Amino acid sequence: MIKAKRNTGLVFFPAYDWAISPTHPEREERLLYTQDQVMEEGLLDVDGIVEYKVRPASYEDIRRVHFCVPDEEAVTTQSHLIAAGGCLVAADAVLKGEVESAFALVRPPGHHAMRVVHGNRGFCNINIEAVMIEYLRERYGVNRVAVVDTDCHHGDGTQDIYWHDPETLFISIHQDGRTLYPGSGFPDESGGPNAQGATVNIPLPPRTGEEGFLFTLNELVMPLLERFKPDMVINSAGQDNHFNDPITNMNFSAGGYATLNAILKPDIAVLEGGYAVESALPYVNVGIIMAMAGIDTSNVKEPNYDMDYRPQPPDTTRYIEKLVKELQGLFLEDKLKRTAYRAGEIIERRRDIFYDTDMISERQHENIRICGECAGAFSIDSSSSRRRRIFAVHIPRKACSACSAVGRAWFDSAARSGSFDHLFLQDRSAGTYERI
Amino acid sequence: MILGLDVGGTQTDAVLLEGGKVVRTTKTPTGDDLLETLGTAIEKTLESVDPPAITRMSFSTTLATNAIVQDRLEDTGMIVTAGPGMRPEWWEVGPSYHVVRGCLDHQGFEALSLDRQAVSQAASSISGLGISTVGVVGKFSVRNPVHELQIAGMTKDRFSHIALGHRVSGLLNFPRRINTTYLNAALYRTHRGFVDALNQTLDAACLRAPRYLLKPDGGTIELNRSCDNPAHAAQSGPAASVIGALALEKCSGTTVILDVGGTTTDMAVVVEGMPFLETLGIRLGPYRTLIRSLLTHSVGIGGDSEVRHGQNGDLRIGPLRIGRPCAFGGPRPTPTDAMICLGLLNAGDKGLSFKAMESLGAPLGLGVKEVSGLVLEKMADMIALSAGAFIHELNSRPVYTIHEVLHRESIEPSSCVVIGGPALQVAPYLQKAFGIPCRVPAHFEAANAIGAAVARVTAEVTLQADTHRGTAIIPELGMEKKIDGRFNVESAVSMAMEALRSFACEGNGEESNEVSVSERHVFHMIRGYSRTGQNIRVKMCVTPGIIREWRRL
Ligand SMILES: [Zn+2]
Ligand SMILES: [Zn+2]
Repeated sequence: MIKAKRNTGLVFFPAYDWAISPTHPEREERLLYTQDQVMEEGLLDVDGIVEYKVRPASYEDIRRVHFCVPDEEAVTTQSHLIAAGGCLVAADAVLKGEVESAFALVRPPGHHAMRVVHGNRGFCNINIEAVMIEYLRERYGVNRVAVVDTDCHHGDGTQDIYWHDPETLFISIHQDGRTLYPGSGFPDESGGPNAQGATVNIPLPPRTGEEGFLFTLNELVMPLLERFKPDMVINSAGQDNHFNDPITNMNFSAGGYATLNAILKPDIAVLEGGYAVESALPYVNVGIIMAMAGIDTSNVKEPNYDMDYRPQPPDTTRYIEKLVKELQGLFLEDKLKRTAYRAGEIIERRRDIFYDTDMISERQHENIRICGECAGAFSIDSSSSRRRRIFAVHIPRKACSACSAVGRAWFDSAARSGSFDHLFLQDRSAGTYERI
Repeated sequence: MILGLDVGGTQTDAVLLEGGKVVRTTKTPTGDDLLETLGTAIEKTLESVDPPAITRMSFSTTLATNAIVQDRLEDTGMIVTAGPGMRPEWWEVGPSYHVVRGCLDHQGFEALSLDRQAVSQAASSISGLGISTVGVVGKFSVRNPVHELQIAGMTKDRFSHIALGHRVSGLLNFPRRINTTYLNAALYRTHRGFVDALNQTLDAACLRAPRYLLKPDGGTIELNRSCDNPAHAAQSGPAASVIGALALEKCSGTTVILDVGGTTTDMAVVVEGMPFLETLGIRLGPYRTLIRSLLTHSVGIGGDSEVRHGQNGDLRIGPLRIGRPCAFGGPRPTPTDAMICLGLLNAGDKGLSFKAMESLGAPLGLGVKEVSGLVLEKMADMIALSAGAFIHELNSRPVYTIHEVLHRESIEPSSCVVIGGPALQVAPYLQKAFGIPCRVPAHFEAANAIGAAVARVTAEVTLQADTHRGTAIIPELGMEKKIDGRFNVESAVSMAMEALRSFACEGNGEESNEVSVSERHVFHMIRGYSRTGQNIRVKMCVTPGIIREWRRL
């Protein structure tokens, strides 16, 4: 009888009755073969691996994170609510102490969903990790959280949501944005004015293999976590860095993912992308589950590994070593150039966001109040090509009285102006959420 | 007339049924020799019955269970192929376990061909130990049995019996497939011997009616056919009671069936007459298997459980049975003594029960009647609490589709059916503890034997078709067929239906309307952005239930 060294919860929700469209990669059988492999391995019989039943998340859970335009109902389906709810079940299992760690194997994914949601971006509508993190904070009083996003695509949604939060360290390891969707995630994207250095982007070159990922993990990610001292570590466990993945160009493997997890030891892992549904996902997921449970993963290997795995080329190794050294300098040796702002000052940011799946263009105008006492209130004036203009105010979790007052004043004056279709107030410190 | 027998640990119950009525019930002590016990019980039950009047005979035995528990399994070799994932050495079982190279992936494609030389070596080393029975198991062999068949073909001359993994179940679970195949192989000769001897005994008594064995899923299998998978007839006792309760009492809505025994109370949940099944299979001794089984839950409280004082001045009941009740000279007070003191039961030496209850009540400042009432209340409360946990577990079973998340209703029992020895005495207390009606059916004390008698033949088939690979396979029946691109889910359903009928038919058209499709999925297989084929999965079964002859009542 095999026994888990660490008790591990599994939340499995393959949504066998949901797809974005019939031939879209995010379709019914995405986790079918993963489930087959997990069942055949007998993982659920392992003493210490516990499977949990999903439940849907509520709109309230989503309102802690998102501004959904025009409302939650319009931009989510039951499948999104259940995927997010699956993460909440994983969170409950860990925080109630029933298991040491948990893995939410749910779909659809979420890490491209930003704070404002006009529709689907990169197969994502709702940021399921962020919904979970804010639930952890609300329900269990968790404070400092680190998210390590190991999906091949830059986790631009999670980055956006935590851009201004100094108590959430967001680390994304991904294929260089010059060669892959969404085209962002460069080292100079390092957090908003009140959270400088709390966002760390590690763009790896195409063909990065096992050694490159593990080198980056050991030399950069682990020391960053050591320094940040999070209460919890979340892994956005995308699996599209795999050498068999059809839509990316990386060379990672199931064994590599397993080792990564054994080192990272996330409290909660959440499945993100990964579309080699037959040739990678079954092995990667089995590897992750076994690694989380502390079971020997040396026999976890794709059947075509010996034939098709390409070791990392030497020039790629050199590139990665140089990149990691630079990032060590910036984030571990405090060489990051921090701009000094005056407390009370309002900093503006304007940007355009594209929703590839739903073909929506969004234009945002953001204002954030510089604050030394809290994460700072901010407002977003957002208009989409669907001709909707909204105004949204976020008051942070531990808002100071000045930021609360400023946020409320912004909301009131925007309401009086009459120039918006909808107004949103997300007051995390008071726990109130308004929508007009 | 129908003859039903349930061999229990200490006692063998038998019934004779006719036209929906119980004609006779008998009890025979279970001896060391199973066949002898059966012979005695049959003789006793059929006294002055004309043998040709018997139209069906069905048995629930402890043969396999005892062999496992008493470690009387035949030495059996195992030849296993695995591939990546959990290490196959972790599942080692039996005295000569060999892993040979060869790998099939989750869709049944051969990723690594079989190492024939290693198979020969394994076979030599097994037969070198004088072992003549082997189990052959491959990872994902239910998707494609090719390696198992190759190994069997290569080694059939060296062994007298070979059990194949893909024949045990259509479910995916490699370690359980290994265990189940091992048990099927290791039980084969004992089981075959028993079946042959039973056939002889019955023939000699001129009892020629169809013969069945009860399985833990609450269904029966034709006696001779049971030799294909001997482990599948193990531990059918709890199923006998559940099916018996279903036969005796109309279970509409959600019903908890409580079988109150001497040491334990066994429970099962039935929704609209359909009992819940284990997700994967029963556990036999240390072996987790793929043997389909009713989901039952056992709590260590029965009529003979020990009653003692807890640390906080409360009463504790069970989970131990120290001996017989005081009324029968036992050492410790039991719920049975409480029943005697309350005048609910007339048995044994009342004086002894009285004395035991008196000393139990004294430290609590309670009289005999009061403390006896308290014992039965406490017993019922504990059973209800345990049932609550069991039902909570049922409601926590994972689901994998949006439809199920949103529409699956949670289980809430609306009544209980109580069977077993002390059923009449404890039912009123259980009714109070559960807060729902608790009924005790007529013949409650013979429910197990009645269940064995009237359980219908059950079977399950799992069909997986892959139009890209061009194959449809039903592993349990060893069926593999070539299919073309026109094969669709309807073709799959009718193929599975036909296979199931030919297997599970009792020869009187019995099952035709009792087949249920438990899974029906079509997945489009896509390479890049275009469809290359369909992956069709159909699971169909004859669900546990009662033969029509009895229901006609
Ligand atoms: Zn991705
Ligand atoms: Zn502030």
